[in-house]
Amino acid sequence: MSKNALLRSVYALSPLLALLAAPLATAGTAEAADPIRIGVVTPLSGTYAPIGQQVRWGLELATKEVNAAGGILGRQVELLFEDEEANPAVATQKAEKLFQVNKVDFLTGTVNSGSTLAVGQLAERNGRLIATTVSFSDAITTDKCSPNVFRVNARAGQQSAALAEWLAKDKPKAKVYYLGPDYEMGRSTVAAFKAAAEKTGAQSTGEVFAPLGSKDYSQYFGQLRAARPSVLYTSTAGNDTVRLLTQMGEYGLLRNLTIVGASGTVTAQNIGAIGKAADGFVTGVGYSAELATPENQAFVAAFRKEYNTAPDLYGADSYGLIGFFKAAVEKAGGTDTDALRKAMEGLSWSTPQGAKTMRAGDHQAIQDMYAVRIAADGSSTRFDVVGTVPGDAAIGPDQCTRF
Amino acid sequence: MPEATLRTLSDPGRAGPASRLSRLAPVHWLALAFLAAALGFAAVAWATGNGFYLRLATEALIFAGLAMSVDLLLGYTGLLSLGQALYFGLGAYVSALVLRDVAPSFWLAMAAALLAGGVAGLIGGVIANRVKGVYFALITFGLAQVAAKTVYNTRALGASDGLIGIPQIRVGFGPFSLDTADPLSFFLLVLGLTVAAYAGLSYLMDAPFGRTLAAIRANEKRVPFLGFNAWRYKLAVYVLAACVAALAGALYPMLRGFVSPELMFFETSGNAVITVIVGGVGTLVGPVVGSLLLTALRSVVGSWTEHHLIVVGVIFMLSVIFLRKGLVGALLARLNRRGEQGRTAP
Repeated sequence: MSKNALLRSVYALSPLLALLAAPLATAGTAEAADPIRIGVVTPLSGTYAPIGQQVRWGLELATKEVNAAGGILGRQVELLFEDEEANPAVATQKAEKLFQVNKVDFLTGTVNSGSTLAVGQLAERNGRLIATTVSFSDAITTDKCSPNVFRVNARAGQQSAALAEWLAKDKPKAKVYYLGPDYEMGRSTVAAFKAAAEKTGAQSTGEVFAPLGSKDYSQYFGQLRAARPSVLYTSTAGNDTVRLLTQMGEYGLLRNLTIVGASGTVTAQNIGAIGKAADGFVTGVGYSAELATPENQAFVAAFRKEYNTAPDLYGADSYGLIGFFKAAVEKAGGTDTDALRKAMEGLSWSTPQGAKTMRAGDHQAIQDMYAVRIAADGSSTRFDVVGTVPGDAAIGPDQCTRF
Repeated sequence: MPEATLRTLSDPGRAGPASRLSRLAPVHWLALAFLAAALGFAAVAWATGNGFYLRLATEALIFAGLAMSVDLLLGYTGLLSLGQALYFGLGAYVSALVLRDVAPSFWLAMAAALLAGGVAGLIGGVIANRVKGVYFALITFGLAQVAAKTVYNTRALGASDGLIGIPQIRVGFGPFSLDTADPLSFFLLVLGLTVAAYAGLSYLMDAPFGRTLAAIRANEKRVPFLGFNAWRYKLAVYVLAACVAALAGALYPMLRGFVSPELMFFETSGNAVITVIVGGVGTLVGPVVGSLLLTALRSVVGSWTEHHLIVVGVIFMLSVIFLRKGLVGALLARLNRRGEQGRTAP
């Protein structure tokens, strides 16, 4: 009976065996093929899916244009997408598949900083390069920098520096009050802006941290009024911003008070729900669809034609990445990792956001930053550019010591 | 409770010493067949130089360890834990911190994770075992959420970014050693640990300890009349499950080189429960088969479509409706039926 039982179990498990034999089947397809392959590990499902969607659209539009113009060094560009679910554990697994099975030449798309850091380390161990077009945690190009990781978008420090610059020019010696969500990222965002604003002459009048997902912000309004600020800085996000700003509007606190905030505080996703209360909100950011340059207008028109919606920061940064990659591969004469890294370091290229330069010392792109004010007149909303901060003023020192 | 499993559990007890191997319970034959398949897979993957699939299978085995710990509670004791990722993540963070900051020693990392898992399991067990049924599930869920949010907001633990830079290490066995960076060696090591965990736990579940757990699952109120303290046994199995999960978690940073708070999130706990139910509740080998199957499926389907979660969800529902005892449970029922036919035939 025992022998039969063994045979039967093997027989019964045969579908599983077939699955386990998968490496045999795919081993033959791993050869480097003619097109240049770029792996894109980005959230296509879940909370971050709208960001992943913009990343995907930006990359696809740029790739289509590059391919129509003859590709890179005569080779077509192929994008391979994988869903990372905004989870580093999933992202590394998917990235490893792209590196080792699909043999991609380059990888991008990661959104949350945890994924970018983990995939960056994986890239180092696989001898490939990656770039992020979304993650803005300063750590990626400062204390946790990697020789194999590049960032083409502006980091948090550049955003707050740009906002502080604008504040110093537009409202010199402003009295600023800070209201942030009570968690690690919320607190560090407030601390970073506070330091930047105090350096440019602003006066801090107080700060308060409200729990994530607060329903009622009116309990903080007494302190806020008593501090008599002329500017309120907030780093809330999503529905928290909706409640904060609408409640401030109901209490009449929006009069004679300028609201400024982090770039993720008011976005395309929550601006509809905030409505008129978002009017006048100012943030420091690397892109606005309203930029009046011909390059940007052409980009926005092409994007709208293809996807029937305007590009946001993530779409623009991702679109610009393909230009960066193309210029670097052409300069390096191929996709060899060391040659490509050398070509990318110090490279200047043009994007709808203006010219960008990849700083060699920490692999952080330098770009002009914009102070953007929201104009909400009830029916439509625009992100108007109210100030430009030159790239060199916003970038801050190179703090990467690893390479 | 699955009748087949009860019979399985009682089988080895009846086996005489002379015929122990021939009387090996069908579930152990399944485990052996699985081991043979795993070794065959390793040979194929090694011969074709396919590191990715070896590392994917290693990850599946690591999460199988977490699923086994859920099975100890759900399948053997009837306790639904929705927060087992707490101990998995704890083991992962402890192991990562030891490897990065103390010493790159495999055994030290495993010992530290075991200790942490045991202590945390004792605390968590005392809290969670105050209540029963759905309240137990909710408390385990809540404990894991509290731990995950704490890690998520603690700068020293990397906060939301997690910790990277966990070194690849050499694992020493006396005169021999192997490298965790080598996909085949590390796969074989994790496979060996999984087999050891399976053997040790299924022995324990056949021993009086496991029989008492089965009695608790069947009717907890009657256990005291047999002279046993049900609470103590429930606490003991909770601590045991926490230790298994922590040891499995300790292997994760050795494979991937990082840890992140997502390892403690409900997603991880929930996936482990799904794995156990699809694989086969109360079999210990079911969680392993389920983990390999679901990991492979996610990797393959995930490359085709971003709607892969729907596919996993449909499989989960189908297995709940049509395979009440999971994949392995259904297989065992067949094997047992045929075995009986074979015995009664002349």
